[in-house]
Amino acid sequence: MENLQFVIIIIFSPLIQGIIKKFKAGLQGRVGAGILQPYYDIIRLLKKEMVLSSVTSWIFKVTPYIVFSSTIVAAMMVPVITTKSSFSIMGDVIALIYIFALGKFFMALAALDAGTAFGGEGSSREMIVSILVEPMIMLCIFTVAITAGSTNIARIAEPQGFIFTPSHVLALLAFMIAIIADTGRVPVDNPDTHLELTMIHEGMLLEYSGKYLALMEWSYYMKQMLLFTLAADMFFPAGIAHNIETSSLIVSSGVYSLKILFMAGIMAIVESTRAKMRFFQLPSLLGGSFVLAVLSLLTFIMIGR
Amino acid sequence: MKNWFDLLYVIDFISVGILLTAVVMNALKRLESCVRAYIFNSWFLSILIFFVAVKTGNPHLYVAASLTLATKGILMPIFLSKMVRQIKATHFVEPYLSNSLSLTIAGILVAIVYTSLREGILVTGFSVHILKISIAVILIGLFIMITRRKAITQVLGLLFMENGLFLAGFSLTFGMPIIVELGILFDMLMGVIILGVFIVQIRRNFSSVDLDSLTTLHD
Repeated sequence: MENLQFVIIIIFSPLIQGIIKKFKAGLQGRVGAGILQPYYDIIRLLKKEMVLSSVTSWIFKVTPYIVFSSTIVAAMMVPVITTKSSFSIMGDVIALIYIFALGKFFMALAALDAGTAFGGEGSSREMIVSILVEPMIMLCIFTVAITAGSTNIARIAEPQGFIFTPSHVLALLAFMIAIIADTGRVPVDNPDTHLELTMIHEGMLLEYSGKYLALMEWSYYMKQMLLFTLAADMFFPAGIAHNIETSSLIVSSGVYSLKILFMAGIMAIVESTRAKMRFFQLPSLLGGSFVLAVLSLLTFIMIGR
Repeated sequence: MKNWFDLLYVIDFISVGILLTAVVMNALKRLESCVRAYIFNSWFLSILIFFVAVKTGNPHLYVAASLTLATKGILMPIFLSKMVRQIKATHFVEPYLSNSLSLTIAGILVAIVYTSLREGILVTGFSVHILKISIAVILIGLFIMITRRKAITQVLGLLFMENGLFLAGFSLTFGMPIIVELGILFDMLMGVIILGVFIVQIRRNFSSVDLDSLTTLHD
């Protein structure tokens, strides 16, 4: 039972996307689509016929499965509502980051495989962003991992209570910027646009259609929810269950949904209040938050908390 | 009373705030926001002194905190922003190095301070890490002075250095006697006023505050 907690992420991740969109619509004074819209989109895409370019090779066809399954493997590693899980033996944060990187690598390859200009553009941009984001995430994780004495996510999430120290606040800020950059949200990328010149993530998905596109979109939603869960586990672990009793699991899932809703709200506010940056200004934003992450680690070593 | 801010690490947060404003100063593009970073830095400094005063119950620290707030937090920023308004040319900082490079170097400076001051310093004051943070702030101030083109940003670098020095002295000795502190603050204020007059004169004579144009001597 406790080993099935990753199913929560698989099932509810489109809902989170719908909620973020609804929040955004509310902030912008629109009615917006219903919060179940991402589900309808996925179902519609699954029913549709696929169109494959004749120049594509096996990489193009295998990538949606690799991306989807690697995201599920990543979801298995992250404690969602309880830290007791058989998968926690392999639940190492560094492995998690590289499982994400595997999916990203194949996505970039597949975008190049179709041979369109936009695919190449999208994949080169995505790689630049991920070069800047990956060390940032690592440094944030190291700060938290030193505090917990382990890089195992279940161990990191274990200390009950409220960790509120200078180094954690700095790491949380840097990690939020990393989440925004990694999920392609507004100051970095606009997930709602298909304007050729600005798209990063969408550029890589441009050649996909039908079932494959549904898988790619779904794994994007899952990755987003996983990153939120990871932030919740690392920075506000209070409320997560440490055993597998039904009562504590119910409490923990309530607290978990509140945390995720809070993260979704922050994302919606950031997206509605910021303007998209020019691509060549991104290094200064991401470099700044990288320095923030370095400072969080240094502060931890310097002050000790 | 004394428990809650040990519990919430208030002093650590404020000292990290002082460090952060000094580091952020490297990334700012407009003169106004640089002045604002200095205001935040001075306010954090005076709040820190205030909390230490609450913690130790030392009456002359309250005086030091309010003096710091009055001069560095209120008088000097008013004067600086007036100076910025008088320089009617561009309000951009124009450093020699790019923003991300100078941010990185600021991070490296903090790392150097940490590694060189790891242990073995005997501190009689209240905190070892505040000394490290203050030395980092001094070095960052020096770095800002070196890499900025405009006179006013160099003054800001000097002021950051002074804040760092003040913090260092404070963390080592719980603050100097009040008469010394008064003297230092007054000196500082006079120095900034004189520098301000200089900057306005430079601007009037050379129609820019770029110090690169001050290379040849005139009669």
